[in-house]
Amino acid sequence: MISSVYIHIPFCHNICTYCSFTKFYYNQDMVKKYLISLKEEVLKRYKGEEIKTIYVGGGTPNVLTITELEELFKIIAIFKLSNDYEFTFEVNPECLDYEKIKFLKQHKVNRISMGVERVNSKFLKYLGREHNFNLVKERIQEIKDIGILNINVDFIYALKNETLKDLDKELDLLLSLDVPHISTYSLMIEEHTKLYIDKTLEIDSDLDYLMYDLIRKKLISKGFKHYEISNFAKSSYESRHNLVYWNNMEYYGFGLSAASYVGNKRFTNTSNLNKYINGNYIKETETLSKKDKISYALILGFRKIEGINIQEFNKKYNVNLLELYNIKELIKNKNLIIQDGNLRISYDKIYVSNNILVNFVGE
Amino acid sequence: MKQENIRNFSIIAHIDHGKSTIADRILEVTKAVSKREIKEQMLDNMDIERERGITIKLNTVRLKYQYKNEEYMLNLIDTPGHVDFSYEVSRSLAASDGAILVVDATQGIEAQTIANMYLAMDNNLTIIPIINKIDLPSADIKKVKQELIDTFGFKDEEIILTSAKTGEGIKELVEAVIERVPSPKGNSNKPLKALIFDSLYDSYRGVLTLGRIFDGTLKVHDKIEFMQTGGVYEVTELFVYNPNFTKVSELSSGEVGYIVASIKTLADVNVGDTITLENNKCSEALPGYKKIQQVVFTGLYPTETNKYNELREALMKLKLNDASLTFEPETSEALGFGFRCGFLGLLHMDVIEERLEREFNLNLIATSPSVVYEVLLTNGEIIKVDSPQKLPEPGKIKSISEPYILTNVFTPSEYIGSLMELCQNKRGIYKNIEYLTPERAILHYELPLSEIVYDFFDKLKSISKGYASFDYEIIGYRPSNLVKMDILVNGEIVDALSTIIHKDFAYNRGRVVVNNLKEIIPRQLFSIPIQAAIGAKVIARSDIKALRKDVLAKCYGGDVSRKKKLLEKQKEGKKRMKQIGSVEIPQDAFLAVLSNEEIND
Repeated sequence: MISSVYIHIPFCHNICTYCSFTKFYYNQDMVKKYLISLKEEVLKRYKGEEIKTIYVGGGTPNVLTITELEELFKIIAIFKLSNDYEFTFEVNPECLDYEKIKFLKQHKVNRISMGVERVNSKFLKYLGREHNFNLVKERIQEIKDIGILNINVDFIYALKNETLKDLDKELDLLLSLDVPHISTYSLMIEEHTKLYIDKTLEIDSDLDYLMYDLIRKKLISKGFKHYEISNFAKSSYESRHNLVYWNNMEYYGFGLSAASYVGNKRFTNTSNLNKYINGNYIKETETLSKKDKISYALILGFRKIEGINIQEFNKKYNVNLLELYNIKELIKNKNLIIQDGNLRISYDKIYVSNNILVNFVGE
Repeated sequence: MKQENIRNFSIIAHIDHGKSTIADRILEVTKAVSKREIKEQMLDNMDIERERGITIKLNTVRLKYQYKNEEYMLNLIDTPGHVDFSYEVSRSLAASDGAILVVDATQGIEAQTIANMYLAMDNNLTIIPIINKIDLPSADIKKVKQELIDTFGFKDEEIILTSAKTGEGIKELVEAVIERVPSPKGNSNKPLKALIFDSLYDSYRGVLTLGRIFDGTLKVHDKIEFMQTGGVYEVTELFVYNPNFTKVSELSSGEVGYIVASIKTLADVNVGDTITLENNKCSEALPGYKKIQQVVFTGLYPTETNKYNELREALMKLKLNDASLTFEPETSEALGFGFRCGFLGLLHMDVIEERLEREFNLNLIATSPSVVYEVLLTNGEIIKVDSPQKLPEPGKIKSISEPYILTNVFTPSEYIGSLMELCQNKRGIYKNIEYLTPERAILHYELPLSEIVYDFFDKLKSISKGYASFDYEIIGYRPSNLVKMDILVNGEIVDALSTIIHKDFAYNRGRVVVNNLKEIIPRQLFSIPIQAAIGAKVIARSDIKALRKDVLAKCYGGDVSRKKKLLEKQKEGKKRMKQIGSVEIPQDAFLAVLSNEEIND
C-alpha cells in the first residue's frame, strides 16, 4: 500500500555548480503551466491512498511566490493525509522569508530541509551558492520561532582545497544551529554540472574517508545517531520519508523527472519540461521480478546503519535472507554482521559499501 | 614443357621492401591475372599478412611467358619474410634455382636483406638484385646501388631498377629471370626425388603438400614415401596453382606442384623431407632436413573461462595450416584452463595471438613468454623446461642452460653506441662490428634469447629512430645463473606471474613488477602486499592500501534505479577481473610482468 508522495519542483533562481538534478531557471509562465500539468498528473495517478509522508523537493520549491505556492498546496490538498504524517519542504535560505515560512506552516508542512551546504563563504561561492551563514542562522531561528522544530540541514564536504581543520571548524558552526537532523554528502562531480565541465577532480579518497570519519565521530559525540550512510538524526528525528526509500517501500513521485515505485514497477518521469507540460509524463518503466525487488531491498536496506531486519525481510519477500546470494560468505568474512535480529554492513565497511552491494545486483 | 624452359625462382627481401607487390606485378605481366583482378598482394592470403605487409604462409604460382618465340614456365616460389620462418625460407630457396633480391630504394640494405641473401647463397642460387620503389621522391638509387656493389659484389649492370607501383622494370625483370636463372638440372628418368617445401590445409582437399621435383616423375596413384618420417601415402590428385588450382596428371623433373595424398594432418608432412616412390626409391634424401623447433612458449588463456573450448577449436584450426604451432593443455590456478603454445619466434607468437583474437573473436590473456631451458638435474638427467611452472625445485637443479642467439643488428653507424649499450644491458657478449659502408654497419652480439623476448625489438627501434633492423640465429645453449622469480599477491603465489630470470636482474625486475602491479591492481577492502620472491626469499615488496571510499553518498527516490545501474556497471568491471584468493586482479596485471619500465602514475 502506497503511503508516500514525492513532488518535484524543478525551478531555481540560480544554478549551483555541483547540481545534477533536473532544474530550470525560474520563469513565471513556465511555473504556471507546470503546476497545471502537475495537478493533472496527480489526479490521473493518485488512487486516494492514505498518505503518511510527503516530500516536496527540487530544484528550489521555495523559489515559488506565495501565489504560486497557493496553487501548489491546492494540489497537495488532494492527498488524504493520515493523522500522523510527515510533510517535508525543501528550501534554500535566500528565497525564504518569514511570510513564506508561516505560509508553509499553515499548510501543514512540519519538516523543513534546508540546503546550507557550507559555512565559509569561500566554499559557498565555489559551490555556486548565493547565501551566507548569517542568513542561514536567521532563517533557522525564524523556522523554529514559527514552530517547525523538525529541521534538516544539508552539508557538502570533500571540496577542492578543503582541509580537515576547515571541516572541523564548520561542523562546530553547523552544530550551533541546533537542528535535529543533518545530511552530509561527499561532493560528487557528476556529468552535466559546471564542476564536471570545468574538469574538477574529486579529492583524494583517503582524505575523503578521514573527513567522513571526522563528521561521524563529531556528530555522534553530539548526540546524533548515524542512521544512514549520509544521514544523522537526533532520536526520533529520522526522515520517515527517506526511510520509505531505504526500506524499499512504495511511493508516488509526481513532477518532472520524479521516480515512483508502484506495485511491480519502478518508473521515472520525463526530464523534458515541454513533454511534461503536454502530459507525456513517463519516460521509462522497469518491471520488477521478485529477484529485482530483493536486489533493491538489499542495496537500499544496507544503506541503513542498523541494516535490515531479518524477520521482516523474510516475511515480506518469503525468502531466507541469510541464504541469499553469498551472504553467508560475507558474514563469515565479517563484511556483514548479524546484530539484534538485523543484518547490517560492518561499520568499518560502510564507506566502501559498494564493494559489498555489487554482490546483490546483476547475474 | 621442355625442362630447359622451366625457371624456378623466389623473391627475397627485408620486410616492407616490396616483395609481395613485385610478385603481384609479375603475375600481371605474365597475364596470370588481369589488372582488374589484382588485389594488393595477391599471393598473401590472410588479412593479417596484408596489413602487416609480411608473408607468413607461402604460396607458389606457375606462370607462362612468351619470350623470343619460346614458351617458358615460371614457378614463382613465394617465401615468408621473417626471421622466425628462416628454415621455411631456406627450404623454399632450396626448391628454387634463382632468387630476386629486392632492396628498397629509400631504405637500402637491411638485416633481413643480408640474412636472406646468405640463405640464397647457401643454396647456390643465381641472384638478380633489384632496387624497388624507384618512383618514390626519397629514393636514393645511386647510394643503394653502391651498397649492393660493396656489400655483395654485384656488378652495376646486373642491378635492375623497378617500381612495383608503376610497373617500371617488371618486364625486364621477368626476362632477366629467363635469361639468368638456370633451368632445373634433374633427370625425369631417375627414381623420384622431390623436396617438400611447404604444406597447407584446404578444407575441400585436406592436406596439400607443396613439392619440387628434382628427379623422376610423380603421377596420380603413385605410392609415395616420405624418407625422413617413413610415411607412405597414395597420391590422389596433383595440382598446380596458376593462380587457380588446376589439376594435372603428372609432375616431372624441374616442376613444382601440390600433392594431395591420404594424409591426415599437417604434422605428418615435414618441410625439408624428401619424397620418393615406395617401389622405386632414390638412393639418398635431399640434404638439409631439420625438424622444426619451437623456441618461444607462452600460456594462452581465454579471458572468460567458458571460452576454453572455443580457444581449443581455434588453435586446432590454425594448426591445420601451421604445423609449426604447438599447443597442449595447461592449467593455472590464477587463470584456469588454457594452453601452453609453442612458436617459432616472437613474430610468429604475435601473429597467432592476433589471429586468435581477430579471426576467432577471442579475448586472451597471454602469460609471460618463455624460452626453452635445459635443466641439468642433480641426478644427471637433462630436462627441457618451457614454462616457469615446470621448473623443478631448486634443490634438484644442478644448473640451468638457456638458448643463446647471434644477432645481426643492421644500423646506421650513428646508433652503434646506443645499440651496444642496449645489447650490453641485455647480457650481450660483444663479437664484432662489420662495416658495410662507412655509414652502415652490422653489429654482432651473442645474447640470451630470453632477453629479446620482452622489449628488445621495441627498444632497438626507438633507439635508432626506426632505422635499425635485426635478425638472429640460435647458436646453442649455455649455462646461466637463472632463478625462478615468483610474484605473491596477498601472500599467495600467482603462478601465471612467475618468470625465469637471471639472478643479477631479479632484484631490479622484481621491484619494477611489484610497483607496476601496485598501480594496476585496484584497491580492495583490505590492504594487499605484493611481493617478488626467489624461493622463500622476498626480494621486493609493495603494498596496495585498503580501499577507503567506494560508496554512493546520496540515494533517494529518484536515484534508486540509476544507482542500481551504477552498481551493475561496477559489477561488470569486477567480472572482467580474475579472482585470485580473495584478490581481484585485472587482466593488465598479467602484462605487467612483461614490461621492464615502471608505469608512471
